[in-house]
Amino acid sequence: MRRLLLNLLVWSCVLLVAFPLFWMIVTSLKPQVELWARPPALLPIEPTMKHYLNLLRETNFLSYFRNSVLLSTATTLLVVAVATLGAYSLVRFRYRGRDTLAMLVLFTYLLPSVVLLLPLYLMMVKLGLANTLASLVLAYTTFALPYALWLLRSFMAGIPEDLESAALVDGATRLGAFRDVILPQLLPGIISTALFTFILSWNEYLFALVLVNSDASRPLTTGVMNMLISSFNIEWSLLMAASVMMSLPLILAFAFLQKYLTRGFGAGAVKG
Amino acid sequence: MAGVSFRGVRKEYDGFVAVEGLDLDIHEGEFVALLGPSGCGKTTTLRMLAGLEFPSSGEIRIGERVVNDLPPGERDIAMVFQSYALYPHMTVARNIEYPLKKRGMPGPQRRERVAEAAQMLQLTELMDRKPRELSGGQQQRVALGRALVRDPQVFLLDEPLSNLDAKLRGYMRAELIELHRRLGRTMVYVTHDQLEAMTMADRIAVMLSGRLQQFAPPQEVYRAPANRFVAGFIGMPSMNLIDGELHQADGGFRFSGAGMNLALPRLKTDVGAGAACLGIRSEHLRIGEGPHRATVQIVEQTGHENIVVLTATGGVRLTGRTTAAVLPVTGKEIAFGVEESALHVFAPGDEGARLNADN
Repeated sequence: MRRLLLNLLVWSCVLLVAFPLFWMIVTSLKPQVELWARPPALLPIEPTMKHYLNLLRETNFLSYFRNSVLLSTATTLLVVAVATLGAYSLVRFRYRGRDTLAMLVLFTYLLPSVVLLLPLYLMMVKLGLANTLASLVLAYTTFALPYALWLLRSFMAGIPEDLESAALVDGATRLGAFRDVILPQLLPGIISTALFTFILSWNEYLFALVLVNSDASRPLTTGVMNMLISSFNIEWSLLMAASVMMSLPLILAFAFLQKYLTRGFGAGAVKG
Repeated sequence: MAGVSFRGVRKEYDGFVAVEGLDLDIHEGEFVALLGPSGCGKTTTLRMLAGLEFPSSGEIRIGERVVNDLPPGERDIAMVFQSYALYPHMTVARNIEYPLKKRGMPGPQRRERVAEAAQMLQLTELMDRKPRELSGGQQQRVALGRALVRDPQVFLLDEPLSNLDAKLRGYMRAELIELHRRLGRTMVYVTHDQLEAMTMADRIAVMLSGRLQQFAPPQEVYRAPANRFVAGFIGMPSMNLIDGELHQADGGFRFSGAGMNLALPRLKTDVGAGAACLGIRSEHLRIGEGPHRATVQIVEQTGHENIVVLTATGGVRLTGRTTAAVLPVTGKEIAFGVEESALHVFAPGDEGARLNADN
């Protein structure tokens, strides 16, 4: 009986979360006439790919998509590279103020990002980076890096120091030991961190809205809004088609990397 | 082949002195155990020899080379860690191969050496497994394999047996002795287990609080401990240590304490009367006969003998042994005697020096 109730609860939660996604897909496949039908049909009567083709052929969608991919990939690479080395330093080297430094990094989260928005914008203008993808990469790095650093720090702390010592004794240089022994052990952590950073930059809206005003550098979030939502009209079917295509890369990434994500939790159980 | 020497080595971290004024000469091909309680500096000493820590001052040599500033990979050493430190993402074969690879040995030669080491340690069947698919004993053998495949000048072993169960530990002890005999290489072995040190080492370096207490062959450490700490640390059950007074009488010394007045063996010439500590090994306490009396407190039957704890005058506890056939009754008074020729005398204090004139 308890089992049944639990199942019921879990499935209602799943439905609650899944229904908007389902509706998004359904709407993107409905022809215009069906959109406003009352009562609404659960499945499209005459499914169409028209909206997708429209988006790809007649709008800037692909350009925004390319911008988002570039932006998110660059941010992820930068954040993971810096956070990995930073976490290594915080865990392995002994120096004054190491723990204070780690705490300070977290303090950046105490400030609402809106407060940082204007100063960041002014800095980007001064640096001559306003309206470029680079400005967004830098901005996203500022708020993804602290969390990434903490995440990787805890993963790194779980790797026994003896492993690295063994590699050093076996004749590896410090960098060699890092590459041969630390990195493979850290892989689940790196993948989690990369996924987190990628999602963060892929979905980010506020900074993209303020820092970039030229259509050539707009990412998907602001680009699609700008293109399909005007004060008079919202192109629902196009918007939903765009949303489906925006979600697809994340869903694919999750599907492929899921086993690494879960493996990350069990990795520490192995002795030595 | 090469020996190892430490000259005035000191190691200090953030105001804490881990090793102080260490002088140690380890001969070529010798098996030396660094023995002491946790925090005595034995592991730090080993890690300095490995190049994983750097001495604050002093000089470390391997063979003729001063290695103070050499990174671990250039010291021609191999190390077995307490945690084994096997690379979890590599198979057994790749684990053993790794040090050869890092030295740029060509592939075919590498595989030959790995196969040789695997055969020596009976790992041939396990070569394609990952470390987590092995038992503790097998992991231990892989760690040994990774160390010996390279044929280094010096082997460093950091409590390699402490994660094994008692039976396997006994077996691996014998294996290690055999391995040392076969390879003839210098081995430095860190342990807190006196049994391992006593049974395996050519010489034992006993350490306490970062300082070397005694460096001698096991039997000498047992028969003539250099100070009170070594006396109490080596031997199971521990040596009985009794605080009391030294008196001069008829050209020799006598000791009084715990209700006994005993004639002592010859002491060093500069020893005078005063406070001192008497050491009696449990096997030199004869239980059941003798001029002294005490109450039987505890009797531990180990099977082949009984360990008997007595309470003597003034509440002093004494530990002795009887054969399994003699079973004293707990709570009863019993006579006991002391073999006076085998007594140890130390200066007062926890690290009071040995006063016997035998060394």
